[in-house]
Amino acid sequence: MVNGVQFSTLFQQIINGLSLGSVYALIAVGYSLVYSILSFSNFAHGGFLVVGGYICYGLLMGKGFNIWIASLGALVGAGFVAALTERLAYKPIRERTSMTLYLLIASMGVSIVIENLFVIVVGGRFRALPQNTFPSALFSLGGNVTVSAFDIFSLVIAVTFLGGLQLFLSRTRWGLAIRAAACDLRTAGLMGVNVSLLIAIVFFVAGLLAAVGGIFLSVRYTLYPQLGGITTKAFVAAVIGGLGSLPGAVVGSLILGLAEMLTAGFISSQMRDLVVFSMLVIMLLVKPAGFFGKQIGDKI
Amino acid sequence: MRKSLLGNAAFVALGLVLAFMPLSGYEEGIVALLCINCIAAMGVSLLTGFTGIFSLGHAAYMALGAYTAAIMTVRYGVHWLPAIVAGGIIAVLVAWLIGMPTLRLTGDYYAIASIGLGEAIRLILENWQSFTRGARGFPGIDSYTNRAVSVGFFTVLGIGMFNLIYSRLGRELKASRDDRVAASLMGFHTPASRMKALLISAFYCGIAGALLGGYMNFIQPSMFDMMKSTELTAVVVFGGLGSMSGTLLGSAAITSVMEYFRDISQYRMLIYGLLLVVIMVLRPEGLLGDRELWAFVPSLRGGVKRSEAREGGEGR
Amino acid sequence: MINSRVLLELDGVDMFFGGVQAVRDMSFTIMDSELAGIIGPNGAGKTTVFNVISGVYSPTAGSIWFREQDITPLMAYQVNRLGIARTFQNLRLFGRSSALENVMTATQNRYRYSFRENLRGHLSPSYRPDPDYSYSFVESLLHVRNWAGTEKRIREKSMELLDRVGLADRANQAAGTLPYGMQRRLEIARALALDPKLLLLDEPAAGMNPEEVSALNGLITGIHRDFKLTTLVIEHHMDLIMEICPHIVCMNFGAKIAEGTPEEIQNNAEVLSAYLGDEPDAHEEAVGR
Repeated sequence: MVNGVQFSTLFQQIINGLSLGSVYALIAVGYSLVYSILSFSNFAHGGFLVVGGYICYGLLMGKGFNIWIASLGALVGAGFVAALTERLAYKPIRERTSMTLYLLIASMGVSIVIENLFVIVVGGRFRALPQNTFPSALFSLGGNVTVSAFDIFSLVIAVTFLGGLQLFLSRTRWGLAIRAAACDLRTAGLMGVNVSLLIAIVFFVAGLLAAVGGIFLSVRYTLYPQLGGITTKAFVAAVIGGLGSLPGAVVGSLILGLAEMLTAGFISSQMRDLVVFSMLVIMLLVKPAGFFGKQIGDKI
Repeated sequence: MRKSLLGNAAFVALGLVLAFMPLSGYEEGIVALLCINCIAAMGVSLLTGFTGIFSLGHAAYMALGAYTAAIMTVRYGVHWLPAIVAGGIIAVLVAWLIGMPTLRLTGDYYAIASIGLGEAIRLILENWQSFTRGARGFPGIDSYTNRAVSVGFFTVLGIGMFNLIYSRLGRELKASRDDRVAASLMGFHTPASRMKALLISAFYCGIAGALLGGYMNFIQPSMFDMMKSTELTAVVVFGGLGSMSGTLLGSAAITSVMEYFRDISQYRMLIYGLLLVVIMVLRPEGLLGDRELWAFVPSLRGGVKRSEAREGGEGR
Repeated sequence: MINSRVLLELDGVDMFFGGVQAVRDMSFTIMDSELAGIIGPNGAGKTTVFNVISGVYSPTAGSIWFREQDITPLMAYQVNRLGIARTFQNLRLFGRSSALENVMTATQNRYRYSFRENLRGHLSPSYRPDPDYSYSFVESLLHVRNWAGTEKRIREKSMELLDRVGLADRANQAAGTLPYGMQRRLEIARALALDPKLLLLDEPAAGMNPEEVSALNGLITGIHRDFKLTTLVIEHHMDLIMEICPHIVCMNFGAKIAEGTPEEIQNNAEVLSAYLGDEPDAHEEAVGR
């Protein structure tokens, strides 16, 4: 019987972990996408997630729209905010200097601005999306194994969006241009790609994916201005997978989600963050460039 | 040589003025806090401005210094002076552990790893209740950081830092910052160069943290979060990357502004974030760019181009 | 007097990048005190040979011997400390620092080196900083004892080298703002400042006008003579090398196609075809002659 209980916990935590990991993946992929094009860590990425969360909440609770329209608004809104951030804050810097450090610091500034703007405008309270927004029933898979419909639902949606991104990158003209720019932005520009528009599209897509993650996270953990801080874990996932690699970001996120949930299920819930950061340190010790990252080939 | 002596003497004079200038109690506190912030900022400046490594976790080294000194003085009755130095040393040891795997990589790896490290250390401090008293904080630290102690540490560490950047180490770090490949092919083992910068900066932050503990009489893990790390780096950027005197000016400016806006904390953070973006857009080179303050004084510059001021020893 | 000791030897070096073979079975020997050149059309793999020698890349196969020791596995900085200095085809100066500071950065990094037998009986390189140009961390921190004297020595030595390449009056100008030809000469001064046993010059004449090239000729032969420095020069313009190098290696498509004196190279059919272009007609014409 003990084994049975353990097995059901294991199974449940694996589903939970995959679900959480797939949400991380949505965030990490957007972050990696930006990194692969501009090679800087956009720390405002967490802000886009919060923007998405609040737009969804506002449309749902304030304006009484249904969840689908609210979500759509959140996705588009966050994508728009991301592209706007790029245009207002990053583009002038990019045009002036090639030092990515300045972009990094500007992105931290943006992140602080977004967070505190929400603190001032809507307040620091925790806000919960209504219970019935998403399927939330628990259903049994026989024996003691129960799974929450929300976990399955967010897993499915996340996979759908990741698949959509994959299709976008591999099948469309802009997708091809983005992949070319990830190899070499300057050359892509010389080949006639409209770099400005391309970067705007990349930010829009990144913001959109972050908003999907933001909606799921605000159901899971409630919504508050500092929710963006959770992107730290997505950054960690991207590093574990290999900075700038999209498959790496997905794999890293799933590993991280599983590790977190298995720790929560079998050790203690308090240890889960510690496990995440220990994994980062161990990974950097063992395979510093991550699973899919470029290994350093030269001897410098 | 002459200019080096002159510079050191000027620093001592600054220290004496700060230590003995008649001030109110409140102002004395500000001076002590300013010196603490400057010590930490100098450490980060060496790493970010002179070596080109971006850190988002240096508050963790401050936390290590603070907790080491606090636990040693309160639990074990150690004298505050060795306790502060021990704080710096513990920070160096941890920096070495984290630097080993990450400094071999380029790009933002160290930045991300430093977030991880910062969070991990904060979580350990929060969860190791029996040793650190957890998230509620560690009260009852002796107020060993008065104005004299703070200014004293600032003067000694400041002189050391300026001497270091005007010596072979300064050129080595700038070489590995400006062109890793060229530096390697000039016989510099660039990961080792970066490590040196990290260890020194961790030492400075550890000391600053230990002093902060004695200044506040109370520390808690949330004082050393990513916000604090961001602030350290922002100060350095604000002052100008590659300018140590700019770092000191930047630190003084930001400490004063933060003190001034203490009452409206929400807006303070919003303004602070906006300021970062605006500075990056309008003047990314910061207050002084990569020049030192004395490069603007013609008589010290010796009538030659600006780069003269940054050469070993002569620029001072 | 010609010293007939072998200084550098490449033995069957292959270098692949992914599936592309940049260097194929490259073998040659450079004697002590030689002035040698590598020529070849653009893309022949010349710079890759330098990168392999100087330790930027590990060769896929083959080995590199310097002063009778295998340096194949060494990292770039180790190779450099053993006495191989180089310049770069695409200039790699520290642009924001002054010309003098660029050279001082190299002068402070002189090493005295030897090979020492380690515990497992292998010879391993060992080097320690040249005490004349180095001082300790504590001396840096406190500016005491040798700091002042050594800094002065580093500065004077660097000025001397700047003077040697004709840049003494530009010592305090930011390196990045110097005219192109001067930047090339500054790179040579910086490499010399390391006091190397072997100097690798990667396309030193690239982007120079004819007068500058002839001045450069004089500079290179002068340095070779005065410092008794073994020098290996890469060029894709034949003229410079033909004029100054008694020993020439010619490469095409990553492989050595000829080696010998300038006369031998000039009369070599394969060299001619490599230089006369890629069109099959020209190729046949050249071979046919």
